[in-house]
Amino acid sequence: MRPWQKVLIVAVNIYLLLFFGPVAGFDIFRIIPEIASKPSTLLQQLLIGIANGSIIAIIALGYTLVYGIIELVNFAHGDVYMLGAFMSLTIIGAFGVTAESTGAQKIVAILVAFLGAVAFTATANVTIERVAYRRLRNAPRLASLISAIGVSFILQNVGLFWGGLKAFFPIMGVNAAAPKAFPELIGRIDVFKDILGWNVPISFSTKDLLVITVASSLMIGLRLFVQYTRLGKAMRATAENRDAAKIMGIDVDRVIAFTFLLGGSLAGAAGLLVGLYNNTAVFTMGFTAGLRAFTSAVLGGIGNITGAMLGGFLIGILAAFSDQYFSSRWTNAWVFAVLVLVLVFRPTGLLGESIGQKA
Amino acid sequence: MQKLRTALIIGATSAAITFLFGGWSAVVVGVIAGAVIGMTYGQRSALRTPNGIGREAVVPGLVGGLVVVLGGVIHQFIVRPATGQSPFFTHTLRFFGSNAQIDSITVLIISSVVAILAAAAAAFLIGSAQGLPPDKRNRQIAFALGGFLLLFPFYEQITNLNWMGALITVQIYILLALGLNIVVGYAGLLDLGYAAFFAIGAYTTALLNSPRIEIQWNFWLVIWIAAAVAAIAGIVLGAPTLPLRGDYLAIVTLGFGEIVPVIFRNLIAVTIREPFTRFCFVGCDPAVEVRIACLYSCEGPLNLTGGEAGVNPIGRPVIPFTPDSLFGSSSYLPWYFLVLALIVFSIFLISRLRDSRIGRAWMAMREDELAASQMGIDPVKTKLLAFSMGATFSGFAGAFYGAYIAAIFPGVFDFSVSVIILCMVILGGLGNMIGVIIGGILIMGTDRLFLPQIATLLKKFMQVSVLPNVSNEALRDFLSTSVDPIQMRLALFGIVLVIMMLVRPEGLVPSAERRAELHAGEEPRGAPVTADEPTT
Amino acid sequence: MLELKDVHTYYGNIHALKGISLKVEKGEIVTLIGSNGAGKTTTLRTIQGLLRPRSGSIVLEGEELTKIPPHLITERGVSQSPEGRLIFPRMTVLENLEMGAFSRKDKDGIKRDLERVCIVFPRLKERVKQKGGTLSGGEQQMLAMGRALMANPRVLLLDEPSMGLAPILVEQIFQIIQELNKQGTTILLVEQNARMALSIAHRGYVLQTGHIRLQGDAKRLHDDEEVRKTYLGEE
Repeated sequence: MRPWQKVLIVAVNIYLLLFFGPVAGFDIFRIIPEIASKPSTLLQQLLIGIANGSIIAIIALGYTLVYGIIELVNFAHGDVYMLGAFMSLTIIGAFGVTAESTGAQKIVAILVAFLGAVAFTATANVTIERVAYRRLRNAPRLASLISAIGVSFILQNVGLFWGGLKAFFPIMGVNAAAPKAFPELIGRIDVFKDILGWNVPISFSTKDLLVITVASSLMIGLRLFVQYTRLGKAMRATAENRDAAKIMGIDVDRVIAFTFLLGGSLAGAAGLLVGLYNNTAVFTMGFTAGLRAFTSAVLGGIGNITGAMLGGFLIGILAAFSDQYFSSRWTNAWVFAVLVLVLVFRPTGLLGESIGQKA
Repeated sequence: MQKLRTALIIGATSAAITFLFGGWSAVVVGVIAGAVIGMTYGQRSALRTPNGIGREAVVPGLVGGLVVVLGGVIHQFIVRPATGQSPFFTHTLRFFGSNAQIDSITVLIISSVVAILAAAAAAFLIGSAQGLPPDKRNRQIAFALGGFLLLFPFYEQITNLNWMGALITVQIYILLALGLNIVVGYAGLLDLGYAAFFAIGAYTTALLNSPRIEIQWNFWLVIWIAAAVAAIAGIVLGAPTLPLRGDYLAIVTLGFGEIVPVIFRNLIAVTIREPFTRFCFVGCDPAVEVRIACLYSCEGPLNLTGGEAGVNPIGRPVIPFTPDSLFGSSSYLPWYFLVLALIVFSIFLISRLRDSRIGRAWMAMREDELAASQMGIDPVKTKLLAFSMGATFSGFAGAFYGAYIAAIFPGVFDFSVSVIILCMVILGGLGNMIGVIIGGILIMGTDRLFLPQIATLLKKFMQVSVLPNVSNEALRDFLSTSVDPIQMRLALFGIVLVIMMLVRPEGLVPSAERRAELHAGEEPRGAPVTADEPTT
Repeated sequence: MLELKDVHTYYGNIHALKGISLKVEKGEIVTLIGSNGAGKTTTLRTIQGLLRPRSGSIVLEGEELTKIPPHLITERGVSQSPEGRLIFPRMTVLENLEMGAFSRKDKDGIKRDLERVCIVFPRLKERVKQKGGTLSGGEQQMLAMGRALMANPRVLLLDEPSMGLAPILVEQIFQIIQELNKQGTTILLVEQNARMALSIAHRGYVLQTGHIRLQGDAKRLHDDEEVRKTYLGEE
């Protein structure tokens, strides 16, 4: 295609975007003045985007690790995250801590919830791989994708069922399908204003701080693990070439199971974080979060760990901007649009190299 | 006794239905069981003459019918009391206006006798057909099936079975599954967003035929427009997927499957203005600007699709020379026959497509895209046609659905719908229309008939027989709220998908090539073989 | 040391190896030659455990290999430079070599062997921090062999080391192979380049469509009429 043809197509598409964009909330004639008049809102949304994005990034890591090693889009991963949130909720409910509890009580409850959720989701993920995916490793790839969709539905139903167990877990509330409320355990103390004493128009609460630090630590920890440890290198080797890894003496089945273990753990941690941050959980949250996380992984370059982290932040920021400036009702559509655009025009993502034509 | 084993198994499986419903359902179930028995025994028979084979199938048919009837008896005398209902009650029969009352024992006797005889008759009919040459056989089976499908609704209405609502829904989904089968089964493109086309068909019908928006076009015209719009949507949504392979294609279709309902849900304040004339940030007269640039809905934003509340009401089909209220909410019959006609029409069209050049092109492309393109098959045209043709049938289904329910809501067209339809196609057998129909009946029948009935019975059973005996408060609460089969439906579909993939990915009624294709990587026995073939 | 007895391997329903029997004694270079599709790589993959034979036995110093999973076969002392090299392109040369030693636990031994590999393949030492995918064809072949050596194997399997290499590199590689053997490594060499293979091997087997056609002393094979015509291209 000649250069001028390409320019023409891009120009036409931009025109169409300006034309029909306002229908989807993308009205730049409204947005630009709005940003100009209140720049602090922009920064605030940036912050919100980074906080939410860090949670999305952790989930995205699960998708990218699994795709990198067995080229499967693990549809059920978002629902494992949802189960992590439910498990955290159950444990916190069992402790009975509320906003009025003492700091020590809260910390204990949160720690136990963290360990419990992570252990639960890690085990669940490994079991799912063993039961639903392992036999299909040599089958046509769509078979494992369909199996993953099936697992996703099963897990959603588990979440629905769990949410109805108010008889055993009163914290689940009255309605099985309704969103559940997490108690407010992390105080909303503004770091800038209350702790540092700065007078800035942006608010940055301890919640944001917690989420961003924990998520970043997990991400950096994972990155270091995969880069420098023996098992991490075995994971990378298996992802690059499974047969060669076998020849090296790497137990590929174990490495794959471990990858699922890692991904599951991250999902569990994310579930707890989102519960503490947004104070809510619902059995359908895995689907939305999963799609956002998968989009992040694809945007950053599927199979690439740094890419998943970068993609997570970017999608988080996109979602925050969309909620604020376009229309929150259209945010899901915009995220999907990014997914479609990346897959069609740059399937290797921002940081990815092309994955070779493996079997 | 050995020979009757299959009949007993078929009878017992069918008896699950009479176990749940009892009464008049025995006749229907008996006929179906008899037909299946006739087919199985007929195919196995060593005899040559149709009559001989038919006669051979009669006794198994009787046996199967007997088992079915037994299920009904158990229902009446064991299940009913256990759920707090008396085995002795009065049935109401409806004869087009007037009612008649019969007591339940008489009903049981009559329906049992008729069921056993009907089972035997069906077995004879279908069994004997197995002995005929293929075209005569197909004709006989088609006649039998047609007769059954035509008579059944009247039987259902008279006996008050209350299955019609569910069955019409089953038929709508069968239409959808037939359409998806073109995309996934024939052309091998995994479409996870098929509900989007359903939504497009339904909304097109709704917007062209709703008193609310003051457009009221004739349904018989609108249904074709809906199909055409869906077909075009198939091309538009299929185009971006052209360069993609398997799983990425599936994800993109999933993306579209989500975006489309979001669009419909949110078109509640639509105003379209030309962008360049709006380039004026300071000192422009808004009134002048609007008059110049505004193209659509300028007095105020238009609530196009009604948002969450949907489009309501939607006009109904009207046949000339019949009362306007024929397609109303009072009787199911016209709707049943309309959707049945749509299905028959679709089957006819699709089999034509399948046997045509484009059908063969689809299958070639599904097997090996590269080889197909080398043989002169244009992958672009072939894929787009697959999406487009597949979407057309969801256009029909959407139009019917909109008119039938007389209102549509955006929440209906979500991802689970796409997955359920996919479930049907996979369960039945990719690329096999009969398989897909059977899969559709199984899945939707379970979802709309079985599960609700099990749920009702279970609830009553709990209330009457279980809960009074449970002292633990928490356990009682748990049993009464959480033990609900309807709430398990997501898991049910999920389990079907996983098990089918692990055990029988070619479906229940596959074609032989498909089975070979999908089990190619396996060793006939011994350990599984790994990966690629080397060059030396 | 390594013995295959009547091994039958299938790909689905395709009978690829039809009763292969061969022996590799300690300290030997044994070569397996034959044309494309004969089953040479299949044989090596079967020994390595990537494929399972439907019948027959593979014995390494008394231990039956067909019963143990592939990653344990490497641990038992069989390592391979596979067809196509299959190095890890996004890992560094050093990491590739480390992966080669994955089945070992003796840190000092690994260090020693790493130094040894760097001496045998000085080019690798220069490029130790580079990503494997950036190396040239010849360097990748050296990396593949170095990686296989890192496992300190009892038997080293080499699959087509000459593939895609310029003649001068082929010479170099084969010299290195001979040198390794003189230092005590037992080698089973699969090769298309029959001339070079037979020139350094002690014994050879000729494979054709899954059968062993000929076997014997490498020199005799080299002079054999049929071998010369079919595989050495001489009249």
